Amino acid sequence: MLTYNIKLAINSLNERLGLTILMILAIGTGLGLFMTMNTMAHQTSKVPLKHISQKLFMVQLDNRELSADDITLQQDMISMTYQDVQNLYAQQTPAQAQTYAWNSSGVVNIQNSNIKPFRASLSATTHDFFEMFEAPFLYGSGWSAQADQNGLANIVLTKKTNNMLFGGENSVGKTVRIGTDELVVIGVLDDWFLSAKFYDGSFYTAFPDHAFIPSRFAFNANFPRQAYFNCPSDEKSPGRFGASNLAELKTSECGWISFWARINSTIGVDEYKDTLSQYVVQQKQLGRFPRAENNFLTNINEQAEQILGGDQWLNILKIVGALFFIVCLINAISILLAKFMRRVKEVSLRRALGAKRKTLMQQYIIEVCMIGSVGGVVGVAFAFIGLEIMMQFQLYGVDYVILRSELEPYYKMDWPMIGTTFLIALISSLIVGLYPIWRICTITPASQLKAQ
Amino acid sequence: MLKMENVSKIYRTNLIETHALRKVDLSIGDGEFVSVTGPSGSGKTTFLNLAGLLETFEEGDFYLDGKNVKGLNDDQLSELRNEKIGFIFQSFNLLPDLPLFDNIDVPLRYRGLKAKDRKERIENALETVGLSSRAQHLPTQLSGGQQQRVAIARAIAGNPRFLLADEPTGNLDSLMAQQVMDLLEKINEQGTTIIMVTHDDQLARRAHRNIQIFDGQVSELDQESSDVLVKAS
Repeated sequence: MLTYNIKLAINSLNERLGLTILMILAIGTGLGLFMTMNTMAHQTSKVPLKHISQKLFMVQLDNRELSADDITLQQDMISMTYQDVQNLYAQQTPAQAQTYAWNSSGVVNIQNSNIKPFRASLSATTHDFFEMFEAPFLYGSGWSAQADQNGLANIVLTKKTNNMLFGGENSVGKTVRIGTDELVVIGVLDDWFLSAKFYDGSFYTAFPDHAFIPSRFAFNANFPRQAYFNCPSDEKSPGRFGASNLAELKTSECGWISFWARINSTIGVDEYKDTLSQYVVQQKQLGRFPRAENNFLTNINEQAEQILGGDQWLNILKIVGALFFIVCLINAISILLAKFMRRVKEVSLRRALGAKRKTLMQQYIIEVCMIGSVGGVVGVAFAFIGLEIMMQFQLYGVDYVILRSELEPYYKMDWPMIGTTFLIALISSLIVGLYPIWRICTITPASQLKAQ
Repeated sequence: MLKMENVSKIYRTNLIETHALRKVDLSIGDGEFVSVTGPSGSGKTTFLNLAGLLETFEEGDFYLDGKNVKGLNDDQLSELRNEKIGFIFQSFNLLPDLPLFDNIDVPLRYRGLKAKDRKERIENALETVGLSSRAQHLPTQLSGGQQQRVAIARAIAGNPRFLLADEPTGNLDSLMAQQVMDLLEKINEQGTTIIMVTHDDQLARRAHRNIQIFDGQVSELDQESSDVLVKAS
């Protein structure tokens, strides 16, 4: 009976091909847009370094003045001051590793080359960064602790930067000029898709760094400090710390550096919290930290939930996609109902000739599933087209300063997403078919047989 | 054997109750050829629908081949209908996009018969109605009389105990009507019980028994009364 019903379902699909195509397009178009929006939202809201994200904690201490507002959310808390970063980094803690990072930039060039200089975004950090965040190396490695201590002019390039400067060749040992400084390439990263730049706490997408340099070197060479300086109210023009007043910045109460700790166990987390508390108490004795203790130790998962979960733009995209899909499904219901109700007489006859209700239901469910499957294929195709269009918009929006390959991961459907699309197509086609199937299969056998 | 005891059928809407059949007591034996006559709206088709298990009834008992059908669920009714009853309709009710072979195949498919068995039955049925050579033709390629013969072939392919015909000649000219009646008589001679609703008293007279339905009530006409009716008309 299954084979017979499949044959009938195929015949029925062919019978009014126009309506069938219309229905497939309704499901496919709705699903395409829905999946375009959801893929973007999904890829953008992917938690970076998911396999270790619960072990990587951002550290924030509340050193603000008494009159400052109370803060309960991690994302509202300020970054760390230079002095706290240096103190904590130098201290023995229960963390397996610690690092810190701040954003900088500079015009990059190489000597005797036809490569045009370009402005690169840089992260100034410590040697621990690469191991803590499991950065994959294509050539060489990260710099040493020694290089940190001595503030050596080392640099780790991303694959993209290495391609731009050295055509993708192994550039370890070669020099790169940033401004007036010459830095030795110590390593080149392989593709490293993080989905969000989490290590500066921004969770921004699509603007990855071009290179990484030792923090001490960056300080010594007075690389620009691209940060928002959260300072006490008596601090005059905090923006000046961006390019000068380094000595002052080192002792100021302005928070601007992201500090990270890798802690592998729950006990370790508690112990680390104790360490932070002890540190704050110690600092209070020195006249700092006027407010009640309010330390934040937040792992990447928790941050992603706070920052990306509340991303209004993504939520609006998802809602628009879902609403459009629902409208398309409602259209599909009407088309399917019209298509099925034209077969009332046939169904009535089949019932009279002995077809059981469940047999007919099987036939129509098969038909609806076939529509859903083809709708799924069309949906995936439309989603690919939709994602391509959205990516072109994004490339245009940033004046094509980033490469297509950098944006692609945010606009790419992976296999689980494709699988999900098919599943949604099947489920939604069954939902679409529910009412029409019920209507057609509950027809009284005698109702239409007398009709001419 | 088909037996109805005090069977009533009422159609209800929010405003009206229509008594389509009132306390029908009737017994039709194996191999009989029964005609059902009566004015339009008297309940003939309702009677045939009940007999064919196409509709349910409110009161009474109905035995089909000794089995009380009251209380059977939809699946059981479908099975019983498929095995025991063949239908012939006034408007033939063939599926226009299927060849004759596949049209006749429909009830056999729902019975779950094997392909070889189905093929044999379809070929025999087509031979009985004289349309063996047209198996792959579409219904629209046939005349009205031929289409009705295909409908008869579909009805008899499953060897049903009962053949229910609702105005089988209603859409045919007199010559074709005679041919169809000849065919029904031939089938009846082979042991199939036939119940035929008709407006045509000439055709009704060719049955063994004539039942008249008037205002939902069944009465039996003897053959003489039928003759009188025919003469009067």
